[in-house]
Amino acid sequence: MPETDFVLVQDLRKAFNGHMAVDGVSFNIEKGEIFGLLGPNGAGKTTTIRMMATTLPITGGDVIIGGHSVHRNPAEVRHLIGVCPQELALYLELSALDNLVFFGRMEGLSKAEALEAAMRNLELVGLADRAKHRVAKFSGGMKRRVNLAIALMNKPELLFLDEPTVGVDPQSRNHIFDTIEGLRDQGTTILYTTHYMEEADRLCRRIAVMDAGRVIALDTPRNLKSRLGDPDKVTLEDIFLDLTGRRLRDAG
Amino acid sequence: MGRSKAGVPFVIAGKELKLFIKDTQMLFFSLALPVVLIFLMVATFGAQARFHATAYVVNLDRGGRGEELVDRLSAIPELTVEVLDEATADSRLATSEIVNAIILPPGFSEAVAAGRAQIEVRRRGAGGTEGQIAVSYAAAIARELAGECLVAERVKAVLAGMGTFVPGPTVDARVSELFAGSRDNPRITVTEETVGGRPEPVVVFLPGLVTMVTLFSITLGAVGIVEERKKGTLERLMTTRLTRGEFLAGQWLGTLSKGLLQVVFLFGLAWVAFRIFTPASFAALLAFGVIAIVSVSGLGLVIAAISKTPEQANWIAVFFTMIMTVLGGSFFDVSGAKGALAVLSRLTYNFWANDGLRRIIVKGESLTSPAILTDITVLLALAAASWVVAILFFRLRGDGK
Ligand SMILES: Nc1ncnc2c1ncn2[C@@H]1O[C@H](COP(=O)(O)OP(=O)(O)O)[C@@H](O)[C@H]1O
Ligand SMILES: [Mg+2]
Repeated sequence: MPETDFVLVQDLRKAFNGHMAVDGVSFNIEKGEIFGLLGPNGAGKTTTIRMMATTLPITGGDVIIGGHSVHRNPAEVRHLIGVCPQELALYLELSALDNLVFFGRMEGLSKAEALEAAMRNLELVGLADRAKHRVAKFSGGMKRRVNLAIALMNKPELLFLDEPTVGVDPQSRNHIFDTIEGLRDQGTTILYTTHYMEEADRLCRRIAVMDAGRVIALDTPRNLKSRLGDPDKVTLEDIFLDLTGRRLRDAG
Repeated sequence: MGRSKAGVPFVIAGKELKLFIKDTQMLFFSLALPVVLIFLMVATFGAQARFHATAYVVNLDRGGRGEELVDRLSAIPELTVEVLDEATADSRLATSEIVNAIILPPGFSEAVAAGRAQIEVRRRGAGGTEGQIAVSYAAAIARELAGECLVAERVKAVLAGMGTFVPGPTVDARVSELFAGSRDNPRITVTEETVGGRPEPVVVFLPGLVTMVTLFSITLGAVGIVEERKKGTLERLMTTRLTRGEFLAGQWLGTLSKGLLQVVFLFGLAWVAFRIFTPASFAALLAFGVIAIVSVSGLGLVIAAISKTPEQANWIAVFFTMIMTVLGGSFFDVSGAKGALAVLSRLTYNFWANDGLRRIIVKGESLTSPAILTDITVLLALAAASWVVAILFFRLRGDGK
């Protein structure tokens, strides 16, 4: 196994009432890469992330992050990770700044450190001028940017982004992409889930395609698409149909 | 790296307080509604505190007795006397502006001197309750005046019979002096005493109201904790360095400060509006309030620990508050209850909190009186017990969404 692997997911499994939501998933993520989990709704992407982020007990297998097992040493793992959940996880009635400062303090930052980090991260997602506004008043895209900025408060080495662009306007989407690419350039390792092929294509160095709790393909976006012909026209729909013989909307 | 973990529960409490202040619905139920209730109670029960009426008098008398009746009527604390001329009285009666007028007829002084009290009443319908009472006061005074004249006449007759000559006006003066003296130092006095010390309705209702609304808002605060689980903020907190203990301590501190805000606000307002406390009793009240809030904030955590969804927490909170409020005597004093009710009421937070607050406010007892020390002990034991339950049952993790 290469020196550079920062994350090792080994035969990871999760059962909900006997149903295997994640059924023997394995992949490695190299330090500093953006790794994509691509799959339709219900494929098991979020369940995988929740186990990797220590918030959901695992049924089987293990995840090693920076040398620490999520299930033997969750506290050490938490120091290394930042999570941007699929659903907004923030306080709508508070300002953007108050949200960031609060979560920063929960990460153990002093008040001054938290304030400084909050302003830096709001700058990063393009909301510095709205810092003191209530999040409830924000557009869907702006709320998602706050959701992302919160995940950066502890300067994570590994960042989980669970469908961060769902229901987002093009302007916010571009802001989010710029932020992600900036973080990668600074050396942050990123796990990015989506069901949009073109997003994975733009951002990810490698992609694992998931279906029904399993990884059914793992390669670079270009290689995945080349199997089917013109890489500029291939969509997740095509790849999925090719791999499973089913249409996306029938999946899950 | 500067980690300041000690402050984490306070940061959580600060966030809770901020959310509380921005939640207009919560603010309404915990601060505005109780204020409205207090004023409603005062309006309802306060109005009965003292009877007051206005007597409208038309004095047609040409002697001095009519004047004297008006003076004595004015001296009655429950009455305000307004003297009208006959035309004004009639026109006001015609428009129902007043419903009752007492007329002292032109021969009033002569009639009184002859020992006959004679007043006349003009009214619309029955004349109104206030008017009837004013008339009976006026009639009593007229009889009093007539009686005094009779006595003076008798004295003159007796003196004449004994052959002693004393001038009539002198006899009149001595007799009326005698009666004035007995009016100033009456043989029969009515001493007003309201059982329990202070008659103000606000004093009677305030403790029960405060225990009810603090219990209600604190148990409702549990909904917020459960909501964090549903919203995903709790899961997000689980990926930070926050521990379960810090989270619980933070929520508890938050609940505590919200409760304190409520207690200081409600008692402070009662003090400013009704001036019912001394600084010492106010301080004792706040100190006891802190203990009561400490006690009930543990119950909030228990509700958060045992509820799976915010809706569930909401129903448990409402149910819990209702039962405890009724059994614990927030509306009716149950301290004299017997049998099962006596036992049940003592199982509630409200009973002990009400008892302590009533003792401080109504009876003016100090914090160190044995009864209040008992209340404090029970409340703190309740706090400890609810903490144990919360720590045992509260889970940060919830597999369900
Ligand atoms: N808490 C849960 N309890 C029961 N089933 C769940 C739970 N979370 C997810 N699932 C099920 O697990 C499967 C994978 O879900 P999820 O990981 O959310 O998929 P994705 O993120 O790829 O859309 C789905 O069938 C979903 O219904
Ligand atoms: Mg998902």
